[in-house]
Amino acid sequence: MSAQLAPASATSVPEGTDLVEWYYDKGYSDGLPVVPPTPAKVAAMLEALGGEPHELEARVPPRWGGLTREVLAINMVMAGCKPEYAPVVRAAMLALCETAFNLNGVQATTHMASPLLVVNGPIARRIGMNAGCNAFGSGNRANATIGRAIRLILLNVGGGWPGDLDKSTLGHPGKYTYAVAENEELGLLSPYHVEKGFQAEDSTVFVMAAEPPHSVTNHVANDPQGILDSVCSAMSTFAHNNAVSSGHCAVVLGPEHATTISKHGWKRHDIKNYLWMNSGNTFGQVSFHHRYGKVYNRSLPVWYKREPDSRIPVVPSAENIHLFVIGGEAGRFSAFIPGWGHMTSPVLREIEGKAGPAASGPRCVDGTCYL
Amino acid sequence: MIQTYDPRGVVGAEKKTVAARVKSLDGLRLGILDNTKWNANKLLRELRDQLQSGHKLAAANYYRKESFSRFADPALVERIRRENDIVVTAIGD
Amino acid sequence: MHDGISLESLGVPTAVIVTSTFLHEARVQREALGMAGIVPVVIDHPLSSISDEEIRGRAAQALAQVIGVWQGTQPDPS
Repeated sequence: MSAQLAPASATSVPEGTDLVEWYYDKGYSDGLPVVPPTPAKVAAMLEALGGEPHELEARVPPRWGGLTREVLAINMVMAGCKPEYAPVVRAAMLALCETAFNLNGVQATTHMASPLLVVNGPIARRIGMNAGCNAFGSGNRANATIGRAIRLILLNVGGGWPGDLDKSTLGHPGKYTYAVAENEELGLLSPYHVEKGFQAEDSTVFVMAAEPPHSVTNHVANDPQGILDSVCSAMSTFAHNNAVSSGHCAVVLGPEHATTISKHGWKRHDIKNYLWMNSGNTFGQVSFHHRYGKVYNRSLPVWYKREPDSRIPVVPSAENIHLFVIGGEAGRFSAFIPGWGHMTSPVLREIEGKAGPAASGPRCVDGTCYL
Repeated sequence: MIQTYDPRGVVGAEKKTVAARVKSLDGLRLGILDNTKWNANKLLRELRDQLQSGHKLAAANYYRKESFSRFADPALVERIRRENDIVVTAIGD
Repeated sequence: MHDGISLESLGVPTAVIVTSTFLHEARVQREALGMAGIVPVVIDHPLSSISDEEIRGRAAQALAQVIGVWQGTQPDPS
């Protein structure tokens, strides 16, 4: 359609115009000042994307706006990204627009879920992402602006404006930015993407619709079980969305906790299964003991028993727990990150190139390597 | 003059027209698509009962989406198309 | 709206019921998906936390609109 090819740079304003205010007034901001794009900045970003400004990368729901490379470049410049971040942002947007993720639902939901990005592989270090101290916090340009670029695209291209098409009751701070890298440098566990069948030297981005991290404190235990029991405690509440809507969740182990667990010889497989096996609620809890009418809850798998004391796992399988080692080397803290529910599936996508595990053959699929 | 940019991208779907309308409901097969959101089933069952009592429908076929938030599976959509002449679906809320 | 538009484009007149708070999104979606002519059926919000009696009321609210959509006599909701 010729309308799709109209350049996104067709307007101009008088010299001396306050551009920061101009972009605010047009309604293109996430609430923070944006970096006004210039021809040079947009060109540099476009070059990092491989040129071809009108190449359509995706359509972003619920507005189904056309995310051409030029539009992607513009939003990345506005976010404050450097051109070297372009492969990550593009891969993340493609992952978010995959059918399995159901971005349409995530954008519109009344739940506070927002896309969480976790980057694995050499690119994270190359572009200076923070996988260490304060990784989920502020202070790092790559983390801050990659996550912000995603949100600006979801707002501007996707039309997910609060109160308009984004009906989130509360929102959460991750809707400004929510992008981190896994701490592979410490070598405490196999990296997430290797567990899922990629080679260590591949770079990947994982996206999941996520609530904010819930801190898990444990300064007492010196073994895996004690630490993981605290994580299980954080998981075993019927307040988060997984409890009643199933789906996927994430667990982040801080390095001190991961060190203890790893020293005892526990692998990813052991950790995920321990967490799955030792967390959950009762059906009585998630049904409010039928106080408001008889509840079956079709969002939960049919194979769960529905007796009052039946154990209702937080997610249907240990494979629905996405485990990462992230954070600084001091502090005995981990985090539980609930998801949105069965209505969305996380997506893991290679950065630059293939959309699935390495063509040379995944080393570990379906848990066969027990990494 | 300074160049400014529009970060929104263009919405440009190819235009689609609705199906031809019907005159009478008599003899038609009714499809009911429940997206499984809370109370959609009760609403649709009540509507089905009202429609059946007020019209000579040839059939009332009930379908349920796998997941309320995702788009219906294309195979389900095709089956509904094949088996029905008119459809009612709920609920967008 | 997406499923309704799929069915309409396959030749099946489809009445899509939305609650009033969802009408704006329904309008945006039909434009974005290219079927401006699909007419939604609107009932009062909410549907999720009301009594069976109130649900029957919603059904009564929807009935004439649903038939009107199929017959082409239902105006676009304002």
